[in-house]
Amino acid sequence: MLLPRLQPPLRAAIASIARSAPSVQSTACLNEAFAALALKPLVFVRHASHAQQGAVNKAKDGPGKRLGAKKSGEQYVIPGNIIFRQRGTHWFPGDNCAMGRDHTIYATESGYVKYYKDPERHPKRQYIGVVFKRDQVLPLPRNSHRRRRLNMVAVKMEVPEVAEGGEVAVSGVTLEGGEGEGRKEVKVKKAKARKGEEGRDLKLRPGYMYRESNWEIGRAAERAGVKVKPFKPRDRWTAWKKREVRFAKNAEKRSLGRKIGGK
Amino acid sequence: MSACQKAARPLTQCLRISQASSQSSRTIRLFTSSSRLSEEAVTETASFTPTPIYDPETVTSSKEERKLMRTGVYPIGSRRRRAAIKTSENIPFEQLPYQCFQEARKILQADREEKLALIAKERLRISNLVATDSATINGGQKVKDVRLDSMRRHLEYLKIQADINDPLIKKRFEDGQGDMTKPIYRYLADRKWREYQRKIIVQRIEQLGIVPDVLPFFEPTAEVRLAFRQKNVQPGEFVDSRISEVPPRLKVQVFDKGERLVTIVVIDSDVPLIEKDDFGSRCHYLAANIPLSPAETSLPLSKATEAQVIHPWLPAFTQKGSPYHRYSVFVLQQEPGKILDTASLKEQIKRDGFSLRRFVDKCKVTPIGMNIFRSIWDEGTAGVMERAGIEGADIEFKRKKVVALKPKQKARGWEARHASDKYKSLRR
Repeated sequence: MLLPRLQPPLRAAIASIARSAPSVQSTACLNEAFAALALKPLVFVRHASHAQQGAVNKAKDGPGKRLGAKKSGEQYVIPGNIIFRQRGTHWFPGDNCAMGRDHTIYATESGYVKYYKDPERHPKRQYIGVVFKRDQVLPLPRNSHRRRRLNMVAVKMEVPEVAEGGEVAVSGVTLEGGEGEGRKEVKVKKAKARKGEEGRDLKLRPGYMYRESNWEIGRAAERAGVKVKPFKPRDRWTAWKKREVRFAKNAEKRSLGRKIGGK
Repeated sequence: MSACQKAARPLTQCLRISQASSQSSRTIRLFTSSSRLSEEAVTETASFTPTPIYDPETVTSSKEERKLMRTGVYPIGSRRRRAAIKTSENIPFEQLPYQCFQEARKILQADREEKLALIAKERLRISNLVATDSATINGGQKVKDVRLDSMRRHLEYLKIQADINDPLIKKRFEDGQGDMTKPIYRYLADRKWREYQRKIIVQRIEQLGIVPDVLPFFEPTAEVRLAFRQKNVQPGEFVDSRISEVPPRLKVQVFDKGERLVTIVVIDSDVPLIEKDDFGSRCHYLAANIPLSPAETSLPLSKATEAQVIHPWLPAFTQKGSPYHRYSVFVLQQEPGKILDTASLKEQIKRDGFSLRRFVDKCKVTPIGMNIFRSIWDEGTAGVMERAGIEGADIEFKRKKVVALKPKQKARGWEARHASDKYKSLRR
């Protein structure tokens, strides 16, 4: 919309002149004023582009994502080191390398990075691999055995020592968790199980809490030999008896509450 | 009563009368060429037979099946089929009274006659060519050999073509009664193997890296099945150390004719070598000069004779913490007529550091089939190693610590920054 450029000060001045001097001089003044206005015409402006247009059709260029090679050829890497960041697969993972979900190539073995092409694997692709010796060439000769590294140390296993002479008193507390090696039988003082808690096998859980499993808790009634009379659907007499007992108990509870509360 | 018996009940009721009448008059002809033995027993002797003999074609209840299997014979086909054979009229397949079917059979038989004529002609041509002098042929002995070879291959092709359309041959093969000395059954067995089982083996070879590690290239041409005692082993399966303590049984099916001598190798390709920081290989079993033919497929490794065995069975074991070990069982065909000297090989070939590539080159054998199983450390491994007299049951492998490339992070915090002597006065 073309809006005329308003000149409020001039208009206000003219209006005041008109009010103040209603004589012939004023009309002459007024005429002068209007002539001045006519000399300076109302300006209708139209710019080349709008703000909306500019924001929508701007050239798309965000901050750079720092893609590209992070380790050069023959550089030493350890497992996990990112070698190449890319969008899509400009480079494919070769020997001892793997590819992440955003096509990042990273090393899975310690060694030296190699950038190479393997036409027998794929005619067009280029690969990044890790070799164990700096002077080893990739791709390996056709049908040659894979180069592997053990990367392990042999350690003598600790045989568990059993306490000699007498039984090891391990009651309801058993030490759990960790590897089998290095497990020592600990002499635990036999704590006398409370009535109703016989056969509880408390194990040491993460967080240093002694706890039995939930399923063991669920079977506590079985262990205690709790007998429950089976429910008979049409036995109204038993139901009435139970109801009476319940009402009596509730009445007692209420009266008890009244006695203490209403003191 | 089994489900198939229930299904066949209306039919049974319908045919009971006819059966009763026929039983007295004549024995019922079944799909098998021989008549039913149990029926024969009923008609011939009036007394009750103490040990009823079960026919693999007509056992229906699970009890009868189990009794039959204990004798070593397996029931043929599905239980439903066996019930149908038992309760129906049992017209032999080729006599089924369908006009179109019989006309088709006539055409196939005519085609078969043509093929037989072609086979006879080809045989004649081969014999003639063999009889001719190579000097008269343009190109000499070489051309004669090439021609003979191609003619013999064509003859094999014609033999297959003569029998491939026969429905009875197909039925016999599917029932497991095919005679592997005949080319058509070998052809059908090969085709069936290639459809599925061979693909599995090829996949395992690629997945587990057998080809570049153990052999440079390998294409299986024989089916090798592996079992420890009664337990069948799938290719690449993890086998408990206690199960693989005994030598396995192989079932090797070759698909080309003739008897040949084979060598069997069991190689472990993942022996950890601490000093070299690498993996080595070890031979767990080596036996040579074992006869093998398409008809005889069973090769129990424990039954190999002293003269055949070079290295007896060493149980598979994996120490704790080590990655899984691959045990490849290779069947290698020796050159025709060649017998390997096991006594000298016993001295020359060592178990540790055994290289199958070197063995194949030295003894000039060709790998025809393989199977594979894997092994990891389990509760029984220590016991197995002790009984076999192998040291190292108490060794555990732990991963080497990878030294980080980044410099160690400097200590943070006020205390760390003011730890030097300059701030001695500020120390507590």
